[in-house]
Amino acid sequence: MKLMRKAALVMAVVPAIVFITPVGSANAHGYVSSPASRSAQCARGDVSVDLCGQAKYEPQSAEGPKGLKNCSGANGAFAPLDNDGLPWKVTNTGQTLSLTWTFTARHATRDYEYFIGGTRVGYVAGNNQQPNNPTTHTINLAGFSGRQKLYAIWNISDTVNAFYSCIDLNIGGGGTTPPPTSTTTTPPPTTTTSSTTTTQQPPAGGTWAPNTSYAAGSTVTYGGSTYRCRQAHTSLNGWEPPNVAALWEKV
Amino acid sequence: MKRLVIAVAVLALAGCGGEAVVPEGQGAHGHGASSAAPPVPAASARFNDADVMFVQMMVDHLQLGISLSQVGLAKATTQEAKDLAGAIDVTQREELTMLKSWLKLWGKPEGDGANLHAAHGGQPLLDDKVINETKEKSGAEFDQLFLNLMTGHQGAGVEMALTEKKEGMNPETTAYAERVVNTRQGQISQMLKIIGGA
Repeated sequence: MKLMRKAALVMAVVPAIVFITPVGSANAHGYVSSPASRSAQCARGDVSVDLCGQAKYEPQSAEGPKGLKNCSGANGAFAPLDNDGLPWKVTNTGQTLSLTWTFTARHATRDYEYFIGGTRVGYVAGNNQQPNNPTTHTINLAGFSGRQKLYAIWNISDTVNAFYSCIDLNIGGGGTTPPPTSTTTTPPPTTTTSSTTTTQQPPAGGTWAPNTSYAAGSTVTYGGSTYRCRQAHTSLNGWEPPNVAALWEKV
Repeated sequence: MKRLVIAVAVLALAGCGGEAVVPEGQGAHGHGASSAAPPVPAASARFNDADVMFVQMMVDHLQLGISLSQVGLAKATTQEAKDLAGAIDVTQREELTMLKSWLKLWGKPEGDGANLHAAHGGQPLLDDKVINETKEKSGAEFDQLFLNLMTGHQGAGVEMALTEKKEGMNPETTAYAERVVNTRQGQISQMLKIIGGA
Protein backbone atom coordinates (compact mmCIF):
# COMPACT_ATOMS: atom_id res chain seq x y z
CA MET A 1 0.00 0.00 0.00
CA LYS A 2 2.77 2.30 0.99
CA LEU A 3 4.62 1.27 -2.15
CA MET A 4 1.61 2.04 -4.30
CA ARG A 5 1.26 5.45 -2.76
CA LYS A 6 4.92 6.07 -3.45
CA ALA A 7 4.46 4.91 -7.03
CA ALA A 8 1.48 7.17 -7.46
CA LEU A 9 3.49 10.06 -6.12
CA VAL A 10 6.32 9.35 -8.55
CA MET A 11 3.86 9.11 -11.41
CA ALA A 12 2.34 12.40 -10.42
CA VAL A 13 5.70 14.13 -10.23
CA VAL A 14 7.29 12.76 -13.39
CA PRO A 15 4.89 14.31 -15.89
CA ALA A 16 5.28 17.64 -14.12
CA ILE A 17 9.04 17.50 -14.59
CA VAL A 18 8.66 16.60 -18.24
CA PHE A 19 6.29 19.51 -18.64
CA ILE A 20 8.43 22.05 -16.82
CA THR A 21 11.78 21.23 -18.39
CA PRO A 22 11.30 22.99 -21.74
CA VAL A 23 10.35 26.32 -20.15
CA GLY A 24 12.78 29.02 -21.11
CA SER A 25 14.59 26.83 -23.56
CA ALA A 26 12.16 26.22 -26.38
CA ASN A 27 13.98 25.36 -29.56
CA ALA A 28 11.37 26.88 -31.79
CA HIS A 29 10.73 30.57 -32.10
CA GLY A 30 8.75 32.98 -34.22
CA TYR A 31 7.76 36.56 -35.01
CA VAL A 32 5.63 38.59 -37.41
CA SER A 33 7.75 39.41 -40.46
CA SER A 34 5.12 41.18 -42.56
CA PRO A 35 4.15 43.87 -41.98
CA ALA A 36 7.42 44.45 -40.20
CA SER A 37 6.88 44.00 -36.46
CA ARG A 38 9.16 45.78 -34.01
CA SER A 39 11.32 42.64 -33.87
CA ALA A 40 11.52 42.48 -37.65
CA GLN A 41 12.46 46.17 -37.80
CA CYS A 42 15.36 45.42 -35.46
CA ALA A 43 16.50 42.53 -37.66
CA ARG A 44 16.11 44.65 -40.81
CA GLY A 45 18.23 47.40 -39.29
CA ASP A 46 15.43 49.96 -39.54
CA VAL A 47 16.01 50.61 -35.85
CA SER A 48 19.64 50.46 -34.78
CA VAL A 49 21.21 47.70 -32.72
CA ASP A 50 22.11 50.30 -30.08
CA LEU A 51 18.39 50.76 -29.51
CA CYS A 52 17.23 47.20 -30.20
CA GLY A 53 19.82 45.08 -28.41
CA GLN A 54 19.45 41.33 -28.80
CA ALA A 55 16.31 41.61 -30.94
CA LYS A 56 18.56 42.40 -33.91
CA TYR A 57 20.02 38.90 -33.77
CA GLU A 58 17.04 36.97 -32.41
CA PRO A 59 13.84 38.69 -33.53
CA GLN A 60 12.19 35.30 -33.01
CA SER A 61 13.00 35.02 -29.30
CA ALA A 62 10.68 37.48 -27.52
CA GLU A 63 9.42 34.58 -25.44
CA GLY A 64 7.58 34.66 -22.14
CA PRO A 65 4.69 33.17 -20.19
CA LYS A 66 1.30 33.03 -21.87
CA GLY A 67 -1.22 35.73 -21.05
CA LEU A 68 0.97 38.83 -21.19
CA LYS A 69 0.17 42.02 -23.09
CA ASN A 70 3.58 43.25 -24.07
CA CYS A 71 6.11 43.13 -26.89
CA SER A 72 9.07 41.45 -25.20
CA GLY A 73 7.44 38.52 -23.39
CA ALA A 74 8.75 40.24 -20.24
CA ASN A 75 12.12 38.87 -21.36
CA GLY A 76 14.74 41.37 -20.16
CA ALA A 77 17.04 41.05 -23.16
CA PHE A 78 14.16 42.17 -25.37
CA ALA A 79 12.90 45.03 -23.18
CA PRO A 80 13.57 47.66 -25.91
CA LEU A 81 10.66 46.15 -27.86
CA ASP A 82 8.33 47.49 -25.14
CA ASN A 83 9.62 51.03 -25.54
CA ASP A 84 6.97 53.03 -27.41
CA GLY A 85 9.44 55.91 -27.68
CA LEU A 86 11.77 54.19 -30.14
CA PRO A 87 11.50 55.22 -33.82
CA TRP A 88 9.32 52.31 -34.93
CA LYS A 89 7.96 52.46 -38.47
CA VAL A 90 4.19 52.65 -38.58
CA THR A 91 2.18 50.56 -41.05
CA ASN A 92 -0.82 52.23 -42.66
CA THR A 93 -3.76 49.88 -42.94
CA GLY A 94 -7.47 49.75 -43.61
CA GLN A 95 -9.85 47.74 -41.47
CA THR A 96 -8.50 44.38 -42.53
CA LEU A 97 -4.88 43.46 -42.08
CA SER A 98 -2.90 40.45 -43.30
CA LEU A 99 0.04 39.30 -41.18
CA THR A 100 2.70 36.69 -41.91
CA TRP A 101 4.71 34.84 -39.28
CA THR A 102 8.28 33.61 -39.69
CA PHE A 103 9.26 30.58 -37.63
CA THR A 104 12.75 29.28 -36.99
CA ALA A 105 11.25 25.91 -36.15
CA ARG A 106 7.70 24.64 -35.95
CA HIS A 107 6.14 24.20 -32.54
CA ALA A 108 2.82 22.45 -32.05
CA THR A 109 0.50 25.43 -31.71
CA ARG A 110 -2.36 26.06 -29.31
CA ASP A 111 -3.54 29.26 -31.02
CA TYR A 112 -2.74 32.77 -32.15
CA GLU A 113 -4.22 35.83 -30.48
CA TYR A 114 -4.24 39.47 -31.57
CA PHE A 115 -5.01 42.32 -29.17
CA ILE A 116 -5.38 46.08 -29.31
CA GLY A 117 -5.31 47.26 -25.71
CA GLY A 118 -7.47 44.76 -23.83
CA THR A 119 -9.63 43.87 -26.82
CA ARG A 120 -8.96 40.63 -28.65
CA VAL A 121 -9.33 41.53 -32.31
CA GLY A 122 -8.21 38.22 -33.75
CA TYR A 123 -8.06 34.54 -32.84
CA VAL A 124 -6.84 31.59 -34.93
CA ALA A 125 -6.96 28.06 -33.53
CA GLY A 126 -3.79 25.99 -33.86
CA ASN A 127 -5.31 22.59 -33.01
CA ASN A 128 -2.01 21.56 -31.47
CA GLN A 129 -0.62 21.07 -34.97
CA GLN A 130 2.62 22.37 -36.45
CA PRO A 131 2.05 25.67 -38.27
CA ASN A 132 1.72 25.93 -42.02
CA ASN A 133 4.42 27.42 -44.22
CA PRO A 134 4.00 30.30 -44.46
CA THR A 135 1.40 31.16 -41.80
CA THR A 136 -0.66 34.18 -42.81
CA HIS A 137 -3.71 35.52 -40.96
CA THR A 138 -6.20 38.21 -41.88
CA ILE A 139 -7.74 40.10 -38.98
CA ASN A 140 -10.54 42.64 -38.74
CA LEU A 141 -9.74 45.96 -37.07
CA ALA A 142 -13.25 47.45 -37.34
CA GLY A 143 -13.91 49.93 -34.55
CA PHE A 144 -10.32 51.07 -34.25
CA SER A 145 -8.67 54.01 -35.94
CA GLY A 146 -5.50 56.06 -35.86
CA ARG A 147 -2.29 55.05 -34.15
CA GLN A 148 -2.62 51.67 -32.44
CA LYS A 149 -0.24 49.02 -31.15
CA LEU A 150 -1.24 45.51 -32.14
CA TYR A 151 -0.06 42.61 -29.97
CA ALA A 152 0.44 39.42 -31.99
CA ILE A 153 0.83 36.35 -29.78
CA TRP A 154 1.78 32.80 -30.74
CA ASN A 155 0.69 30.42 -27.98
CA ILE A 156 2.59 27.16 -28.34
CA SER A 157 1.27 23.84 -27.07
CA ASP A 158 4.30 22.13 -25.64
CA THR A 159 5.50 24.69 -23.10
CA VAL A 160 3.79 27.28 -20.89
CA ASN A 161 5.26 30.01 -23.08
CA ALA A 162 4.18 32.23 -25.94
CA PHE A 163 6.05 34.37 -28.45
CA TYR A 164 5.23 38.06 -28.69
CA SER A 165 5.36 40.53 -31.60
CA CYS A 166 4.13 44.11 -31.72
CA ILE A 167 3.09 45.92 -34.87
CA ASP A 168 2.60 49.69 -34.90
CA LEU A 169 -0.41 50.61 -37.01
CA ASN A 170 -2.15 53.65 -38.37
CA ILE A 171 -5.70 52.44 -38.99
CA GLY A 172 -7.85 54.50 -41.28
CA GLY A 173 -8.52 55.55 -44.80
CA GLY A 174 -11.11 52.81 -45.15
CA GLY A 175 -11.21 49.91 -47.53
CA THR A 176 -9.07 46.82 -47.58
CA THR A 177 -5.35 46.95 -47.29
CA PRO A 178 -3.29 46.01 -50.28
CA PRO A 179 -0.93 43.06 -49.85
CA PRO A 180 1.49 43.52 -46.95
CA THR A 181 4.38 44.32 -49.23
CA SER A 182 2.85 47.72 -49.94
CA THR A 183 1.25 48.62 -46.63
CA THR A 184 4.06 50.77 -45.36
CA THR A 185 4.50 54.31 -46.54
CA THR A 186 7.93 54.83 -45.08
CA PRO A 187 10.54 55.80 -47.63
CA PRO A 188 13.08 53.22 -48.77
CA PRO A 189 16.25 53.07 -46.69
CA THR A 190 19.11 55.15 -47.92
CA THR A 191 21.49 52.21 -47.88
CA THR A 192 22.13 50.47 -51.17
CA THR A 193 19.58 47.71 -51.58
CA SER A 194 19.84 44.58 -53.59
CA SER A 195 16.97 45.65 -55.85
CA THR A 196 19.53 47.78 -57.64
CA THR A 197 21.70 44.79 -58.47
CA THR A 198 22.11 45.56 -62.12
CA THR A 199 22.81 49.27 -61.78
CA GLN A 200 24.93 49.50 -58.65
CA GLN A 201 28.02 47.71 -59.86
CA PRO A 202 30.87 49.66 -58.32
CA PRO A 203 33.76 50.85 -60.41
CA ALA A 204 36.57 48.37 -60.81
CA GLY A 205 39.15 48.67 -58.08
CA GLY A 206 36.79 50.21 -55.49
CA THR A 207 37.17 49.25 -51.86
CA TRP A 208 34.95 46.41 -50.68
CA ALA A 209 32.00 47.56 -48.56
CA PRO A 210 29.05 45.77 -46.97
CA ASN A 211 25.47 46.17 -48.28
CA THR A 212 26.69 46.66 -51.82
CA SER A 213 25.60 44.70 -54.87
CA TYR A 214 28.50 43.12 -56.73
CA ALA A 215 28.15 41.55 -60.16
CA ALA A 216 30.15 38.50 -61.15
CA GLY A 217 33.45 39.67 -62.61
CA SER A 218 33.64 42.99 -60.76
CA THR A 219 36.77 43.65 -58.75
CA VAL A 220 37.40 45.23 -55.36
CA THR A 221 40.31 45.86 -53.07
CA TYR A 222 40.35 44.65 -49.49
CA GLY A 223 43.26 44.67 -47.06
CA GLY A 224 45.66 45.67 -49.82
CA SER A 225 44.70 42.82 -52.16
CA THR A 226 42.48 42.75 -55.22
CA TYR A 227 39.61 40.28 -55.53
CA ARG A 228 37.30 39.35 -58.40
CA CYS A 229 33.65 38.55 -57.69
CA ARG A 230 32.81 34.95 -58.62
CA GLN A 231 29.09 35.06 -57.87
CA ALA A 232 26.64 37.99 -57.96
CA HIS A 233 25.57 38.94 -54.43
CA THR A 234 24.86 41.77 -52.03
CA SER A 235 27.79 41.97 -49.62
CA LEU A 236 27.41 41.82 -45.88
CA ASN A 237 29.48 41.75 -42.69
CA GLY A 238 31.20 38.38 -42.48
CA TRP A 239 31.44 38.03 -46.26
CA GLU A 240 34.67 40.03 -46.49
CA PRO A 241 36.61 38.74 -49.53
CA PRO A 242 39.32 36.81 -47.60
CA ASN A 243 36.58 34.97 -45.65
CA VAL A 244 34.65 33.64 -48.63
CA ALA A 245 36.62 32.15 -51.49
CA ALA A 246 33.27 30.98 -52.85
CA LEU A 247 32.36 34.62 -53.56
CA TRP A 248 35.75 36.28 -54.13
CA GLU A 249 38.81 35.08 -55.99
CA LYS A 250 42.11 36.75 -55.19
CA VAL A 251 43.74 38.17 -58.34
CA MET B 1 52.03 28.22 -32.27
CA LYS B 2 49.99 31.28 -31.43
CA ARG B 3 46.90 29.22 -32.17
CA LEU B 4 48.00 26.54 -29.72
CA VAL B 5 48.68 29.12 -27.04
CA ILE B 6 45.19 30.58 -27.48
CA ALA B 7 43.67 27.11 -27.38
CA VAL B 8 45.49 26.27 -24.17
CA ALA B 9 44.51 29.58 -22.62
CA VAL B 10 40.87 29.02 -23.50
CA LEU B 11 41.07 25.51 -22.09
CA ALA B 12 42.53 26.80 -18.83
CA LEU B 13 39.82 29.44 -18.56
CA ALA B 14 36.96 27.20 -19.55
CA GLY B 15 37.84 24.38 -17.19
CA CYS B 16 34.70 22.58 -18.29
CA GLY B 17 34.23 18.89 -18.77
CA GLY B 18 34.19 17.09 -22.06
CA GLU B 19 37.13 18.72 -23.78
CA ALA B 20 39.31 16.56 -25.95
CA VAL B 21 42.62 16.77 -27.72
CA VAL B 22 43.56 15.30 -31.06
CA PRO B 23 46.37 12.78 -30.52
CA GLU B 24 49.91 13.97 -31.17
CA GLY B 25 50.99 13.55 -34.78
CA GLN B 26 47.59 13.91 -36.42
CA GLY B 27 48.32 17.59 -36.59
CA ALA B 28 46.03 20.56 -36.74
CA HIS B 29 46.70 21.50 -40.32
CA GLY B 30 44.67 18.98 -42.28
CA HIS B 31 42.98 20.52 -45.27
CA GLY B 32 40.50 17.84 -46.17
CA ALA B 33 39.54 19.46 -49.47
CA SER B 34 40.59 18.39 -52.92
CA SER B 35 43.66 20.09 -54.29
CA ALA B 36 41.56 22.17 -56.70
CA ALA B 37 39.48 23.79 -53.96
CA PRO B 38 40.73 26.75 -51.96
CA PRO B 39 42.50 25.73 -48.75
CA VAL B 40 40.15 24.95 -45.89
CA PRO B 41 40.98 26.64 -42.59
CA ALA B 42 41.97 23.96 -40.13
CA ALA B 43 40.60 23.77 -36.62
CA SER B 44 43.00 23.48 -33.75
CA ALA B 45 43.08 20.29 -31.79
CA ARG B 46 41.38 21.23 -28.52
CA PHE B 47 37.63 21.15 -28.44
CA ASN B 48 34.72 20.28 -26.17
CA ASP B 49 31.34 18.60 -26.53
CA ALA B 50 29.63 21.89 -27.39
CA ASP B 51 32.00 22.40 -30.34
CA VAL B 52 31.32 18.91 -31.66
CA MET B 53 27.55 19.25 -31.22
CA PHE B 54 27.51 22.62 -32.97
CA VAL B 55 29.60 21.43 -35.91
CA GLN B 56 27.57 18.23 -36.28
CA MET B 57 24.29 20.14 -36.20
CA MET B 58 25.62 22.77 -38.61
CA VAL B 59 26.58 20.06 -41.13
CA ASP B 60 22.93 19.01 -41.28
CA HIS B 61 21.71 22.62 -41.13
CA LEU B 62 23.98 23.69 -44.00
CA GLN B 63 22.86 20.79 -46.18
CA LEU B 64 19.19 21.68 -45.72
CA GLY B 65 19.97 25.33 -46.48
CA ILE B 66 21.83 24.32 -49.64
CA SER B 67 18.88 22.20 -50.79
CA LEU B 68 16.46 25.08 -50.26
CA SER B 69 18.77 27.62 -51.88
CA GLN B 70 18.99 25.45 -54.99
CA VAL B 71 15.20 25.49 -55.33
CA GLY B 72 15.34 29.27 -54.84
CA LEU B 73 18.00 29.63 -57.49
CA ALA B 74 15.85 27.68 -59.96
CA LYS B 75 12.45 29.20 -59.19
CA ALA B 76 12.71 32.66 -57.58
CA THR B 77 11.22 35.37 -59.76
CA THR B 78 13.31 38.34 -58.61
CA GLN B 79 17.00 38.79 -59.31
CA GLU B 80 17.76 39.80 -55.72
CA ALA B 81 16.21 36.58 -54.36
CA LYS B 82 18.06 34.53 -56.99
CA ASP B 83 21.37 36.22 -56.19
CA LEU B 84 20.93 35.64 -52.49
CA ALA B 85 20.02 31.98 -53.06
CA GLY B 86 23.11 31.57 -55.25
CA ALA B 87 25.39 33.21 -52.69
CA ILE B 88 23.97 31.12 -49.83
CA ASP B 89 24.47 28.00 -51.94
CA VAL B 90 28.17 28.56 -52.68
CA THR B 91 29.16 29.98 -49.29
CA GLN B 92 27.46 27.19 -47.37
CA ARG B 93 29.13 24.56 -49.56
CA GLU B 94 32.44 26.10 -48.61
CA GLU B 95 31.48 26.05 -44.93
CA LEU B 96 30.31 22.44 -45.23
CA THR B 97 33.68 21.31 -46.61
CA MET B 98 35.44 23.09 -43.76
CA LEU B 99 33.22 21.67 -41.01
CA LYS B 100 33.44 18.10 -42.34
CA SER B 101 37.24 18.39 -42.31
CA TRP B 102 37.10 19.50 -38.67
CA LEU B 103 34.99 16.50 -37.66
CA LYS B 104 37.42 14.24 -39.48
CA LEU B 105 40.35 15.84 -37.67
CA TRP B 106 38.60 15.43 -34.33
CA GLY B 107 37.67 11.82 -35.09
CA LYS B 108 33.95 12.59 -34.74
CA PRO B 109 31.14 11.29 -36.97
CA GLU B 110 29.06 13.67 -39.05
CA GLY B 111 26.08 12.48 -37.04
CA ASP B 112 22.45 12.12 -37.91
CA GLY B 113 20.85 15.52 -38.12
CA ALA B 114 17.32 14.32 -37.48
CA ASN B 115 18.41 12.46 -34.35
CA LEU B 116 20.42 15.45 -33.13
CA HIS B 117 17.36 17.65 -33.48
CA ALA B 118 15.17 15.11 -31.70
CA ALA B 119 17.69 14.93 -28.87
CA HIS B 120 17.38 18.68 -28.46
CA GLY B 121 13.61 18.79 -28.49
CA GLY B 122 13.50 20.76 -31.71
CA GLN B 123 11.08 20.47 -34.57
CA PRO B 124 13.23 21.71 -37.42
CA LEU B 125 11.63 24.10 -39.84
CA LEU B 126 13.07 22.38 -42.89
CA ASP B 127 13.10 18.78 -43.94
CA ASP B 128 13.05 17.12 -47.34
CA LYS B 129 9.25 17.11 -47.41
CA VAL B 130 8.97 20.86 -46.73
CA ILE B 131 11.65 21.60 -49.33
CA ASN B 132 9.93 19.42 -51.92
CA GLU B 133 6.60 21.16 -51.27
CA THR B 134 8.13 24.51 -52.22
CA LYS B 135 8.76 23.13 -55.72
CA GLU B 136 5.00 22.95 -56.28
CA LYS B 137 4.63 26.72 -55.90
CA SER B 138 5.46 29.34 -58.49
CA GLY B 139 5.62 33.08 -59.07
CA ALA B 140 5.17 35.51 -56.20
CA GLU B 141 3.74 32.73 -54.04
CA PHE B 142 6.97 30.77 -54.39
CA ASP B 143 9.10 33.83 -53.61
CA GLN B 144 7.18 34.54 -50.39
CA LEU B 145 7.39 30.91 -49.26
CA PHE B 146 11.06 30.55 -50.16
CA LEU B 147 12.08 33.78 -48.40
CA ASN B 148 9.92 33.00 -45.37
CA LEU B 149 11.50 29.56 -44.97
CA MET B 150 15.04 30.74 -45.60
CA THR B 151 14.63 33.61 -43.12
CA GLY B 152 13.46 31.18 -40.45
CA HIS B 153 16.11 28.58 -41.25
CA GLN B 154 18.98 31.07 -41.08
CA GLY B 155 17.49 32.45 -37.86
CA ALA B 156 17.74 28.97 -36.35
CA GLY B 157 21.40 28.98 -37.41
CA VAL B 158 21.92 32.20 -35.44
CA GLU B 159 20.44 30.54 -32.35
CA MET B 160 22.82 27.58 -32.70
CA ALA B 161 25.81 29.87 -33.24
CA LEU B 162 24.97 32.01 -30.19
CA THR B 163 24.92 28.83 -28.08
CA GLU B 164 28.33 27.82 -29.48
CA LYS B 165 29.75 31.26 -28.67
CA LYS B 166 28.69 30.77 -25.05
CA GLU B 167 29.58 27.10 -24.58
CA GLY B 168 32.24 26.20 -27.14
CA MET B 169 36.00 26.42 -26.56
CA ASN B 170 37.68 25.69 -29.89
CA PRO B 171 38.87 29.10 -31.17
CA GLU B 172 38.25 28.40 -34.87
CA THR B 173 34.79 27.04 -34.14
CA THR B 174 33.76 29.99 -31.99
CA ALA B 175 35.17 32.35 -34.63
CA TYR B 176 33.11 30.53 -37.25
CA ALA B 177 30.05 30.85 -34.98
CA GLU B 178 30.63 34.61 -34.84
CA ARG B 179 30.73 34.68 -38.65
CA VAL B 180 27.50 32.64 -38.80
CA VAL B 181 25.79 35.18 -36.53
CA ASN B 182 26.91 38.11 -38.70
CA THR B 183 26.34 36.62 -42.14
CA ARG B 184 22.95 35.12 -41.32
CA GLN B 185 21.85 38.35 -39.65
CA GLY B 186 22.83 40.19 -42.84
CA GLN B 187 20.95 37.71 -45.01
CA ILE B 188 17.87 37.89 -42.77
CA SER B 189 17.94 41.69 -42.99
CA GLN B 190 18.03 41.49 -46.80
CA MET B 191 15.22 38.93 -46.93
CA LEU B 192 12.94 40.75 -44.47
CA LYS B 193 13.20 43.85 -46.65
CA ILE B 194 12.13 41.86 -49.70
CA ILE B 195 9.30 40.16 -47.75
CA GLY B 196 7.95 43.23 -45.99
CA GLY B 197 8.82 45.95 -48.45
CA ALA B 198 11.60 48.47 -48.00
